[in-house]
Amino acid sequence: MAAALSVGEITRRIVREARPGSVVAASGVWADRIRAALPGSLGVWALSDAGLMDGAPLSVADAAAIARGGYIDLAVIEAGQVDRNGSIAGAQSASGLSIPGNAVDLSSGAQRVVALLPNAGRDGVLNLAESLSLPADGVNCVDTVICDVGVINVAGGQFVLTETAPGWTAADLQAMAGVSLSVSPALRRIDLAAPSGDAVSKVYSDGVGAVADLPDGATVFIDGFGGPGGMAHYLLVALRDLGSRGLTIVSNTAGIARVVSFGTPPGRTAIDHSVLIENGQVAKAIASFPVSPSVSRPSEFELAYRRGEVELELVPQGTLAERLRAGGAGVLAFYTPTGAGTLISEGKESRTIDGREYILEYGLRADYAIIRAHRADERGNLVYRGTSRNFNAVMAPAARITVAEVDEIVAAGELNPEEIVTPGVFVQRIVKRPDGFSGYE
Amino acid sequence: MAFSKVYESAAAAVSDVRDGATLLIGGTASDDAPAELLAAVLAGGVRGLTGICDFARWDGADGLIELIRAGRVARLVSSNPFPGDDGGDVRRLWESGDLEIELVPQGTLAERLRAGGAGIGGVFVPVGIGTRFAQGKETKVINGTECVLESPLRADVALLRAAAADTMGNLTYRGVQRGWNHTMAASARLTIVQADRVEEAGNIDPELVITPGIFVNRVVQSVMIDGMGG
Repeated sequence: MAAALSVGEITRRIVREARPGSVVAASGVWADRIRAALPGSLGVWALSDAGLMDGAPLSVADAAAIARGGYIDLAVIEAGQVDRNGSIAGAQSASGLSIPGNAVDLSSGAQRVVALLPNAGRDGVLNLAESLSLPADGVNCVDTVICDVGVINVAGGQFVLTETAPGWTAADLQAMAGVSLSVSPALRRIDLAAPSGDAVSKVYSDGVGAVADLPDGATVFIDGFGGPGGMAHYLLVALRDLGSRGLTIVSNTAGIARVVSFGTPPGRTAIDHSVLIENGQVAKAIASFPVSPSVSRPSEFELAYRRGEVELELVPQGTLAERLRAGGAGVLAFYTPTGAGTLISEGKESRTIDGREYILEYGLRADYAIIRAHRADERGNLVYRGTSRNFNAVMAPAARITVAEVDEIVAAGELNPEEIVTPGVFVQRIVKRPDGFSGYE
Repeated sequence: MAFSKVYESAAAAVSDVRDGATLLIGGTASDDAPAELLAAVLAGGVRGLTGICDFARWDGADGLIELIRAGRVARLVSSNPFPGDDGGDVRRLWESGDLEIELVPQGTLAERLRAGGAGIGGVFVPVGIGTRFAQGKETKVINGTECVLESPLRADVALLRAAAADTMGNLTYRGVQRGWNHTMAASARLTIVQADRVEEAGNIDPELVITPGIFVNRVVQSVMIDGMGG
């Protein structure tokens, strides 16, 4: 029989599965091989189980959050066995103790799963099964099997052979499959050509353009404390100019910088959430500090609330941050001791854990986040300055579309990787705050 | 004399680690794991330890594997206890019943540690449903997604590695060091860090500080920067 594909050739076939700008995760040596084989123009994010994403380090908690949070478009898992329903046992299952590694996380969280059987042709066994005899690491999750002699799709309870390696026929694969294979009418020779295409640029030239598709009724994350720092002033004004209505804003303050006036030059007002509220665009706020500290200077939100024009959901600050973090990290709910026994706990599930009372809080996600950072590279990696890290960094992963307003955009690779706080995988759009733009009106 | 978390030696920093302690061990390899702290724990003679880590051994003769070989570890909580093909001594001890192993998927291990460090009582995550990792656990369908309840993990001591620490315990990492070391820093009662460089407080650029010193109790300067073999 012909030689099976080499490791390099298998890697080239895997890489063809990656779409421009997508996120591909793998583990161990395969993560390194895939990263090395990806054409740079594709703009693919390669995530390893060591928490490295294109050279920028992540904590393992953040790497796992990326997997659970639905950010991984394609997971490549070395398999010990795959069954007809797409359930998978990881590669090391044969060693006696079935080791999960990151296979369980990837099986559960990735949009698509490729199971890798790199030694099928060499060993003469395909390791496909009617149902798994090894312990499952993932259930009903495998879309495609790539091995060293061909490619097999797993769909509708069937193994469908779609590609064969040079010198290998459908009959050769069937002979070592142990299960019946369907043969695609479009069966073809395996293609190892490098994928082409360019990632879509994340850089927008102006603020209104960067939020132009933000619809009426959207939920929007916006940073903000009492001072001017940390808020995406330019994008707030852009959203006002755009005029989308019926918005739910999720924010620490719902806009009190204007009334607190820390550092505001005489005769001017700070730009904050108030610009949306006074423009009649906000229907609801989810916030922890939505009122002015001064009774004599109520915030725009307070005034609108008194007039009955807006709804309010109050959330303790730490719980707001944790709900945002959960929303971005694929944690659907969590138990926190914060607020147990207070008004905050009313109507919520509670339970005693190790003698302490906890309440159940849910992850929070949004359609859009408009965040503020100091510098971005073209891939959307963000560096913050000072306290602007506070809510911006925790909001970025929890929105479907995160738009970052920055002071400077540099080429990919020009940021110090150790300084990157928000990986670009969480950032869909970047816009430079115009030179001379003021946070005051 | 100014307040400082710096200890003069690894031996001094780990001297009160007791028999039966639960240890978090950061890193996976010689350049991101706290090899000198582990060597000091080995020399200290404590027994009956529980080790919580991703990899239970790495290439070379240093680190947790020496504690395991010396019979000091009774229990491992790990997602990759047998790197390599045969699993080596870890597998042999497990098979002979001398080492108990609790397997946890890598991301769930990280999330349980994060929950432990963040005061969270439990998390519902859509991970491992339908596999052995969800068996016997409470589940809940949230917004149509089945989730399993995972409990927080905390330990007595965390042994970590960083590229630099200041005297207040603020940490910055290099490359993969951030991975497990930062994930574990908040999750132990006593967090001890082997740092390759020790700086006066204020000398690390604040934007480069990844782990705030509030989570760190003790700092020891690495003796051999490149790890035990260096």
